[in-house]
Amino acid sequence: MQLGIRKLIQFGRTVEDYTLVSILIGMMLLAVTQIFLRNIFESGLSWIDPLVRIGVLWIALIGAMIGTRKGGHISIDILAQYIPEHLKSVLVRVTSVISASICGLMSWVSIKFLIEEYEYGITAFGSVPAWPFELIIPIGFSVMTLRFATLIITGHQEEDS
Amino acid sequence: MSYLLTSAAIVSALIGVPLFLVILFGASIGFSQSDIDLMVLPIDLYRLTESSVLMALPLFAFAGFLLSEAKTADRLVRVSMAALGWLPGGMMIIGLITCAFFTMLTGGSGVTIVALGALLLPAYTQSGYPERFSLGLITTSGSMGLLLPPAIPLILFGIIAQQMDIPGVDIADLFVAGIIPALVMILALYFYGLWAMRHAPAPTQPFNVKELLSSANESKWELGIPVIVLGGVISGVLVLSEAAAVTALYVLIVEVLIYKDIKPRQLVKIMQNSMVMVGGILLILGVALSFTNFLVDAQVPEKIFDVIREKIDSKWAFLLSLNVFLLALGAILDIFAALIIMVPLILPIAIEYGVDPVHLGIIFVANMQIGYFTPPVGMNLFIASYRFNKPISELYRATIPFMLVLMVVVLMITFIPELSLWLID
Repeated sequence: MQLGIRKLIQFGRTVEDYTLVSILIGMMLLAVTQIFLRNIFESGLSWIDPLVRIGVLWIALIGAMIGTRKGGHISIDILAQYIPEHLKSVLVRVTSVISASICGLMSWVSIKFLIEEYEYGITAFGSVPAWPFELIIPIGFSVMTLRFATLIITGHQEEDS
Repeated sequence: MSYLLTSAAIVSALIGVPLFLVILFGASIGFSQSDIDLMVLPIDLYRLTESSVLMALPLFAFAGFLLSEAKTADRLVRVSMAALGWLPGGMMIIGLITCAFFTMLTGGSGVTIVALGALLLPAYTQSGYPERFSLGLITTSGSMGLLLPPAIPLILFGIIAQQMDIPGVDIADLFVAGIIPALVMILALYFYGLWAMRHAPAPTQPFNVKELLSSANESKWELGIPVIVLGGVISGVLVLSEAAAVTALYVLIVEVLIYKDIKPRQLVKIMQNSMVMVGGILLILGVALSFTNFLVDAQVPEKIFDVIREKIDSKWAFLLSLNVFLLALGAILDIFAALIIMVPLILPIAIEYGVDPVHLGIIFVANMQIGYFTPPVGMNLFIASYRFNKPISELYRATIPFMLVLMVVVLMITFIPELSLWLID
């Protein structure tokens, strides 16, 4: 059972890593293709620009998800630099309770947002629906909620490979 | 109730809750008070997809992290040593220039000190510089280059100003405006170093054409990067996001296929590390969109302006107090978060006082640059202390003289707007 959960967590991390890699490489290639199309053939593919811009949103959220598992978020860390070692896990637990609650709230409102976008049939570009691209917002915040919740229990950041 | 929640948000920022969550917290409080559905938060976050220029941030950062993992630093030190080693104090210029090269791509996130520190510290001490002087110079150099194109802080300032519909803020203008102030900073540190070492100047290296040519040949691929960025953007052939894509792809090919410094399997890790940094910046930007909209709707900048106008009536007095405020801010807050949170509040006020928005951008970033090594909490002090295994108090003493020199330069940048604006007009 324990082993199963560990494997599941590891699988999730691998999916995150490779989604990030594919989006970043895809963005570079698509943008460079577009430059060639525009400057040499004086044309361009209309779906590249919106797709690349959506890539930025995905990178933002996946970067933040990975940041949560590595403890790499931008924060004011003066207190953590100066408090004694044995109080650090208390500090981690307190900040994680706050962080998990805010992420939880954000997951909830973004699920509501997604359902509305689906029901109203909002499109991202052309006739492509927007909701699959927006899916990363609730996924990202739910995963971060879980990770912060884990930190409340363990009290310290696990080593991440 | 609202005061209680607002204080809770401030306390959570101070104890180290990630800043994007603090901003979300603040925005949720504000919107709930005004009976606005919190669904506005994901809606505003999705607005990150409205602007193409944002793509420049992940791509430049990826390029910068790639360079810092490759042996670029060794090659750059070698070529600049060959080009400038014959100058008195040439080693200092070499350190400053190579640091600036890294920082302009990685945004002073501490990557510079980590990537270059291990190389520069022994190079300085072997060239005859005292250890404390070398430590101070490297820690200071770690944020040098934040004003050189394609500096991510300047891009971010431009993006924020454009989102606020402030006219006359072009990112290419910001790039040009930063060049002279950045050079003045480098020269000021160089001349201070010459003066400080006047009793025991470090030996110089004889100039050697062969070495210069062979080292330039070795690093020619990397020396081409500024040409792509500056040439592409300032000539107008490429827009910024395109230049970023070309740069990232170019650096990827050069480091993986030509120099073979980076193995393909290292790429995942490098992408992870760079995107954790960028993801943080982008999310802060995305959630701050909501928050600043709320502040602007509530006319907060106007209210602050009314309050400070009673105490400060001249533009120069305003700029001086702005310097003090930004220095303190730069010491406690990450430069990107500081830009995203403070520019929407400060920019409208500065315009009321008649400050040119481009000039403000340069003042803002220049102050933040010093904040990185302002005791007691500047981030680069901790990074250098960790990297060189020295007590933090020793770094305070080592860095303070350099900090004072740069403070004088920041005052010059503030009170002589022509330094920034001359090349634009």
